[in-house]
Order: sequence, then structure tokens, then C-alpha cells
Amino acid sequence: MAYPYVSEREVRVISRYFGDPAARRIDTYVDRGGYGALRKAFGMGPDEVTDLVKASGLRGRGGAGFPTGVKWSFMPKEVRRPHYLLCNADESEPGTFKDRELMRWDPHQLVEGCLIAAYAIRASHVYIYCRGEFFEANQVLARAVEGAYEKGYAGKDILGSGNDIEVTVHQGAGAYICGEETGMMSSLEGRRGLPWVKPPFPAAAGAFGMPSTINNVETLSAVPHILANGSDWYRRWGTELSPGTKLFCVSGHVNKPGNYELPLGFPLAELIDDVCGGVRDGNALKAVIPGGSSVPIINAEEARACRLDYEGCVEVGTMLGCASVIVMDETTDMVKQVRRMVDFYAHESCGQCTPCREGSAWTAQIMRRIEDGDGSEEDLDTLMHMTQQMVGTTICVLSDSVAAPVQSSILKFRHDYLALMRRRETAGVA
Amino acid sequence: MSQELVTLTIDGREVSVPKGTTIIEAAKQIGTRVPHYCYHPGLSSPAMCRLCLVEVGGAPKPMPSCVTTVAEGQVVKTESERALWGRRGVLEFYLVNHPLDCPICDASGACDLQDHVHAEGREHGRSYEPKRVFGRDDFGGDVLFYGDRCVMCTRCVRFMSEVEQEDRLTVVDRGARSIIDTFYEEGLEGTYWHGNIVDVCPVGALLSKDFLHKARAWDLEHTPSICPNCSQGCNIDLHTRDNLVQRIKPRENLDVNAWWMCDYGRLEYEWINRGDRLEAPLVRGGSTASRAAGWSDALSGVLERARGAGNASVKAVAWPFASNEDLAALAALVDRLGGGEIVYRSARAAEERVLKGFPTLARRRDLAANRVGADLMGMERVGGDDASGGLDAVAAHDGIVLVLGDALADQSPDFGGYAALYVYLGTHDAPAAAHADFVLPVTTFAEQEGTFTNLQGRVQRFWPAMAPPGMARPAWLVLGALVAELTGAPAPRSAAEAFARLGQRVPAFGGIGYAELSARGALVNQTVSLAGD
Amino acid sequence: MSEVPFRNPGWAGNTGDFDLTEDQVRGDDFVGRRPKHGGHAAVAGTMPYMLTGRDAEGALFQGEYEERFNKILTRYPTKRAALLPALALAQEIRGHVSPEAMDRVAELLELSPAYVRGVATFYTMYNKRPVGRHLVQVCTNISCNLCGADEVLEAFLTHTGTEQGETSADGEFTVVEAECLAACGFPTCVQINSRYYENVTPEDVPKILDHLRTRGD
Repeated sequence: MAYPYVSEREVRVISRYFGDPAARRIDTYVDRGGYGALRKAFGMGPDEVTDLVKASGLRGRGGAGFPTGVKWSFMPKEVRRPHYLLCNADESEPGTFKDRELMRWDPHQLVEGCLIAAYAIRASHVYIYCRGEFFEANQVLARAVEGAYEKGYAGKDILGSGNDIEVTVHQGAGAYICGEETGMMSSLEGRRGLPWVKPPFPAAAGAFGMPSTINNVETLSAVPHILANGSDWYRRWGTELSPGTKLFCVSGHVNKPGNYELPLGFPLAELIDDVCGGVRDGNALKAVIPGGSSVPIINAEEARACRLDYEGCVEVGTMLGCASVIVMDETTDMVKQVRRMVDFYAHESCGQCTPCREGSAWTAQIMRRIEDGDGSEEDLDTLMHMTQQMVGTTICVLSDSVAAPVQSSILKFRHDYLALMRRRETAGVA
Repeated sequence: MSQELVTLTIDGREVSVPKGTTIIEAAKQIGTRVPHYCYHPGLSSPAMCRLCLVEVGGAPKPMPSCVTTVAEGQVVKTESERALWGRRGVLEFYLVNHPLDCPICDASGACDLQDHVHAEGREHGRSYEPKRVFGRDDFGGDVLFYGDRCVMCTRCVRFMSEVEQEDRLTVVDRGARSIIDTFYEEGLEGTYWHGNIVDVCPVGALLSKDFLHKARAWDLEHTPSICPNCSQGCNIDLHTRDNLVQRIKPRENLDVNAWWMCDYGRLEYEWINRGDRLEAPLVRGGSTASRAAGWSDALSGVLERARGAGNASVKAVAWPFASNEDLAALAALVDRLGGGEIVYRSARAAEERVLKGFPTLARRRDLAANRVGADLMGMERVGGDDASGGLDAVAAHDGIVLVLGDALADQSPDFGGYAALYVYLGTHDAPAAAHADFVLPVTTFAEQEGTFTNLQGRVQRFWPAMAPPGMARPAWLVLGALVAELTGAPAPRSAAEAFARLGQRVPAFGGIGYAELSARGALVNQTVSLAGD
Repeated sequence: MSEVPFRNPGWAGNTGDFDLTEDQVRGDDFVGRRPKHGGHAAVAGTMPYMLTGRDAEGALFQGEYEERFNKILTRYPTKRAALLPALALAQEIRGHVSPEAMDRVAELLELSPAYVRGVATFYTMYNKRPVGRHLVQVCTNISCNLCGADEVLEAFLTHTGTEQGETSADGEFTVVEAECLAACGFPTCVQINSRYYENVTPEDVPKILDHLRTRGD
């Protein structure tokens, strides 16, 4: 098959069957060895499974990068109350489109990963919280779950193992904040998706007040492979602290945007120039956001030095996040793009915390005014100082995400802002 | 009962509190008040206003003190540069869209936003942007909502949901477009405690229609008192100006009403402000016109007639809005005059209205504060639930008739026409006092010091909030003077003394003094049935 | 699924390298009509969402819809948790979530109407007012924005003769901006009712609109 963009530099572990319609059928999945990992897991104790995943060094692929095995180990070892596994399929971070592809091309991989994870944390129920807009992906996933029930991979006494694990596909209704783990649990409970104060942490009191673990689609999709092949195998790729492969979602001004599965630690420069065929139209690179709109923007120089793993991005002053690489060339109007990102946060803010509720809207107003040519350098000072008041003062980090593009763009692309102000002056507007 | 204590340092001062206490509560104990909006001890803590941020040693960012629990050896700074930076930033965000219409806002002078910004906020705003507008919304009942002023603390939503347990309010929309509303036009009709959301609102977003534009907060005097309108005995403050009650607010008492009071009691204060008061003792005697007299004359006249009545029996009518001291003095007088029955009428509602989130608090069936006080002193309730009837024997009595407070609205003007001596003590003249020999002006509870006994058997003090009109005096003083003349013993010179005398006569009230009562109240020495009749 | 007379909604790329048809990518046997009764209870909460054949006065939760609603209730430990699927089901039937629908859902789930209103208004996908037969949501977030999303939005507004959020006079189209639809590699992405249209350019817009006017669902 020819999934639109493939590169021979890829290591296609979880994206191997992208572009293969047959992969959606459960029979195909089983023929290709599917659900073998689940059988293997059932042959181990739950804590053994957790230790294996811990040893593999798999880190959460939803943006936080928290070691998955460690997260699983926070769950109580005794089941006094129901445990829940929540799969975070509420992909909404601008620039990110990997989970949707995983769900619609290889749903069984995800379902198997969920079941293995549920077994490891002694969960009786898996809720896959899917983004409401993903109709096609959700229905493919729904058929996969139905197939799993039909064949006895989900439900009561799975494969005669004595394990009961239910799976429910729960559809969201359009809110980015429901991708935040406590926002998601709040939404699952039938409430407004308002994030919760932590502590208590989900492993102590999560969905419905019960011990819960939340994992991203990509993280869970890797789990069957780690079970099947072992932790050493997974560590063949990536770095010591960031092992394994990652789906990089590349978008923006490149010739070949798309999902590319590469070992962590891959140089950003090679991703753009080699894997993605370079910046479009031969234009010069201006800026890159390596991890989705919530991480600081880096300029071309920093991009050339950037190594795509959790530590490497921090070294150049940004974060890997969910590895959504947005490439911007010299034609980019930086103020407009930052304004659009801030509009997004203002639209998606849940409104609980005052700095975020008021600050995101205020920042959007100032950005719009600057974009319209009615801004001043005083506004830039206000933006820098005021967005800093939004960092570390709220329940969740959506507030911090407003500060990231605003501050990084003012620091590194101040001339873009100033150009708009001069344009206004030369236009003779009072 | 011992609890594990944790010792921490707040602003350089050591404090020991039970494990599990939040920093904001621990700080209260050393007199440090951390600014906050969404936190309220009677509601859940969502930690969303972000105003109560303090610096906690070891934590990388300022922590919300309303949900952060104390830890052994913790070092907390509520006024460090970091803590102040955190709060100053949050306060700036509150003002970005706030209309700053203090000149026309009822909350002005009693507004947490004014207070906190004045203390810790930036001097100048930095926003040049147009402000968001929501407009005014009538929520029904007594509540108006000014959306522009709302700081989205959601105390009102949580009060209705958690305490009254009538989920009538919600936040609609999301982000900066979010605002408080009801289910379209449903409003708050049919809820009985919604007045409390005006109390908990830290700004002027929720206002009482009854109080709208009536008086400025700084012109009001606050006097601690007890709600007179049912037997729950909610602790209140009377807010007065120009010698009139402008509004009633609840006062915290975790044993009685927590932080709340019902809408009925809260709005039932106009009767305290009624004009056309009796202002001087009247000597009426038969059908000739009354003449005003001084107290000495009037009281001498009463005594003369009383002694002249010989062995005539006494029938008295009390009323349950009188204080324990007033009722005690009436009982003592009846006793001195040879004994007799004392009855009272009291309105009763069809049902109780319990506050589900604090179920020992209810708007009780007995719609007067001191029914229990009267019962404990051996007085008998007569008449119907509409507080009428039951006085046939008294109306036709040919001995001594004493009436304290009851307006006798249902009685004919012939009432007491056969009495050898008929003394009417009240706040207003009454048609059924036409045959009274003496009409004596007394004070309402709001114009005197005294106590009520609530249905728990709790004796609670109240203080005078208003000056009495003309020559009106507390009933315990007037009746106490009469008793003193009859016994030769000195009259009580204070409400405290009057209460002490009561304690000597009625064991239930024994051993409790005003000092013990202070502002919290104390239980009588006997179990009081809560069910009533 | 009908033949679409214009290039490429759905699977990506301008390269022409991809050798699958839209049918194969969309997988009509996977995506298409979910049974009204919801299928297996585990997935009864997923739904087609925006059917062009909706009935604004349709009876809420009767017949097969009632069966589906009851299946949904079995999947959660509380009735409250069935609220989002229930509202989505009401919208599937009627095309939008009206106060009456909120009231009915509140009654069925033993919640207050005010609470349901609070939840329904929090989420973007619940239409608070009726919308056109085709709800056109154009992503203008950063990745699509960098590749000309504003022009695509403009084209839709121009060719439908509407302002953003308005319904066209013939009741066919409502055009709104959407946030990132997670198809960033295939800009510009437009969601129309339940379908994603990817790699949309302003030139494609008139053809898409004509196709929608004639298509059933």
C-alpha cells in the first residue's frame, strides 16, 4: 500500500499498517499475530506487566512524557474499589493528528493495548474517551470493539483467563480541555469538563472517585509490541532517557506533511529536510513549533540544533510535547499565527481560573489589535508581563500554554510585531 | 478527644492545628486573613478563583491555601513578594472586565473586590480593550444578577446545589464567555433559601431586590440579634440606618444556623419598622378619651387599681415575640397578684422547610422566636394556627386582665370590658384595647436587650439596634417595677438581672448567666422536644 | 457512498501516490449507517451525529432510540455520566439541543434542567439553535492557517452567501470556523456534518457545495 507519505528512515512499529484497509478487520489483525500479546500478558502477573513496561522506558505520548510504567505502578495493588483505565483519544492539540490515524487504521492495536494496560492496573473497565468530531475514526474503533467482544477478547472471562474487562467507547462533544486528564474524567462523569485540583491524584481518586489511570492512544498502541517483543527490543531505538519510537506529526510549510514514525532523538533538521522533502517552494525556514501549539516557538537556528526527544527539546528552550512539528517558512506572518493560537486558547479555556479566563481573552484582544496595526511597544511589555502572571497560577496548564507562543514570539520575532506598528505609523493613522 | 496536631510556621509565627486543616483556616487562627473568593467554609472548595495563593516553602509555584493542607514543619508566607505577586496578578485579571460601577453598586463599602484591590492590587490598569457586557438579569425571587460584576467564584451555584440542594443555578458557556444563569426563565421561584446567595456573593453581582439602592453599606449599623420570625432562632445582624431596619443578614453560629438564614425570616422585618407606635402611657379607663400620663402616674394608677381589685383572679395573654425577660416579669407579676393563667397565641405554618445541606436548620412551623420560652415558663398555647381565637375566657373575665404584646386583631372592641382591671402593654394601640384601663408602651425586641429560647432549648442573646420611640420601655422593666412595688424588693435594673431572676424562679433557666451566653448561647437545663404539638 | 466529482476528500496528500479509492479509505462497511439501536452496548454511545434527514420535532428516545439510550445507561456507574451520550442522541434525532430536549434528558437522568443546560452549553458540538442541513466547519487553526485556511473559509462564506454562524436562506448551509480537527497533514480540513473533507482548496468549494446540495445522507 502507499500511505501518502512514507520515508525509508521510518521505523514503523505502531504505524506499520497505516494505509492498509485490511488492518481494520479483526481477522486480519489476529492472523498477523494480534492479541498474542494479551495472551502473554495474562500469563504474567499484573505487576510483572507493569515492570516490563517500566523497564522499556515508554513515556506518555500525549504530551507530558511521564514514564508509563511508573504511572501504572501508582495504582493500588489491592482492588478494594473498581479501577478504571481511561484511554485519552481526545486529540485536540493544534498540529496533532496521530491518534486519529492510529484509531482509523489500526484500531485493534489500540484495543489490545487498552486491555493489557487494564490487566496491569487491575482495572475492570476501560473507557476510551474519543473526540466527538472523529466520527469516522470512532466508528472504525466501535467496530473493532464490537469485534473484540464477539471473539471473546473483551468482556467476561477473556480467553478463559478469568479476567473480566469491559470496554466502553465514550464520545466527547467538542472541548479541548477534555484532553486534560482531570478535565476528561470530569467530562466522562457527565459534568462540564473542568479540571480538578491535584492532589488527590487519579490513582487515588479519579473517575467516579475510583482509582484511575489515563494513557494516550499512542502510548497504549505501543504496549502490545512491548509485551510481544520485550523491553530491550523497544530500547533499540531512541535514547537512554527517551527510548522507543514516536509518531511525529509534521504540518505546515513542508513538501511532504504527514505522520512519520521515527526513533526519539531524531534530529529536527533531518526530519524537515530529508524525511519531509524540505521546506516548500525552496523557501527559507523561519520558525518551528516542535511539540504542538502549547510549546515555545523556536527559530531556524534553534531548529537546526534541536534533537527530537524530551531532553533535547528542553535544551533549545522548548518542549517535545506531543511531537507535532509545525514548520513555518519565511512567508509566515508570525503575529497572525500567534493571534490565531491565542484565539484558540481563549475559545477553549474552561473559564474556572481567573488568570486563564480573563488573561486568555485579554491576550487575544491585544493580539488582534496589534495585528490590525493598532498596537504599540507598551503592548509588548504588557503581554510579556501579563502572560507571566498566567504561568503557574492555575489549576491546569492551558493558562501556561497561552504564555508559550506569545512570549517566545515576542522574544525571537520582535521585528514581526514592530513591523505592524511601523506600518501603522507610515499609514498616518493617528 | 485528641486529634493529631501539626505545627507549622505562618509569617514567622508558629501555629499548631489538627492534621488535615487547610492553610487558609490555619492562618485564620492567628488572625491572618488570606484574600479569597471561591472558598467558603460552608461550601466545597474548587480552588478556582486563584486569589488565595500563598508561598509555601519548597513548592515551585504559589499554592492555593484553601485546599493545601498543613504539613509538619511547613513554612508558609502569606505576604512575601512571591505571594503578593501571585495575588496582584490575579487581582489585575479580575479588573480587566469589571465595570467598576461602584457609585451605583449596592455592594460598595462591603465589597471584597474593593477591599482586596485596595490592599494588594495594582494602582493602574493596563487594559485598553472594550469590556465584556452581560447586562442585568432578574433571577426571580428576591435576586437580581448583574453579570458584568460577576467574578465567577460560583459560590452561588454551589450554595444552591450543595446546601439548598435545588440545582437552580449553573454556569453556561465556557471560558471568558461563561456566566451564571438559571434554566432559561425558570429562575429561583419556589426556593426558600436563595437570599443566602446574595450574602455569599463577594461582589455586587447578586443583589437583593428588597434592598436595591436603599442604603449605603457604610451608613449601616450592624447589631447582633436573633431572628424573631420562627423558633429556629437564627443568629442575625440587624442593619439599621435612621433608626429603621434596612435589612437582615445572618450571623455565623455553627450550632444553630451555620452561615445561613431562610428567605422568609430575612425579608420579614417591615413589622419592626412600623410607625404609629404607642409613645406614652395612656390612662384610658372606660369609654372616655385617653389621656397621656407619665410612667410614675401610670404605674401608680395600675397598682392602686390592682390593690383595689382584692382577690380577683388574673388572666393574662402573652405573645411569643416577647423576650424571656419580658415573659418572666409577666409571670412574676401574675404570681404576685394572686396567681392565674397565662396563655398565648402563635402562628404556625403548614410545614417546616428544612435546609437539606444543613438539616438542623429549618424555617420552623412556629412563626415566632420565643414559643419555647413561653412554654418553659408554664404558659399555654391557645388558638389556631392562624394565631386567632382561644381568648373567650380572657375576653369576658371579670378579674384582672393583662395583655402583653398580642395585637388582639381578631378580638372585638368589647374585649376585657368586664374586667376589674385591664392593662394592655403593647407596641401599637389596638381596637381590642378600647376597654383597657391602662395602655403602656413597650419596646420590640429590636429596641431592647434580652434573650429568646429557640426550639433546641438554646437561650440566645440579642442587643438593641434601635432607639425606642417616645417613652416606650422594655416590658421586663415596666412589669419588674410593678412587681417591685408589690413585693418591696428592688426592681431589676438590667436585662441581665431580669434574666438572673428568671433563673431563680424557673429551674430550666437556672445557672446560666449572660456571661455564659455571650454571643453563642447556651442550652437550658432540660430537654426540649423539637416536634412541638 | 457516491462518487465525488472532485479530488480527494479523505485520505491525504497532493502527491497522487496513494492508490486507494475513497471507498477503500472510508470503508463504507465500517463507516456509514450505525444501527439506530446502537449495536453492542459498549459502543452504543457513538453516533452518526449530523444526519441530513433529521426531524426537529422528532420524538425523543422512542423505539430503537430508546433501546440505545437504555444500553448507554448500562455502561456507567452513575446516571449523570450518560448525559453527554444522551444529549448527542437527542441532537442526532433533532439536529440541535433545544431547552425542551434538555428538560427531557434532565428528567430521564434525574438531574436538574439548569445543570443539563450548564453541561450542554460547555461543549462546542451541541448546537444550541437549529443549523442548516449541512454544517460546514472549516479549520482555521495554525497548521491549516499556514496553508491558506482563511481563503477556504472565505470561499465557503461567499459561495453560500452567509456570514459565519448564519444559515443560508435555503436552509442548506451553516458555515463556521472550527478549531484543529486533527488532520493537520492534509490542509485545509473541513468537517461537513459527519464527514471530513481534507486538502480542500478554494477552487474545490463550489464543487463541494453542489455535491452537497444534491446528496442525500
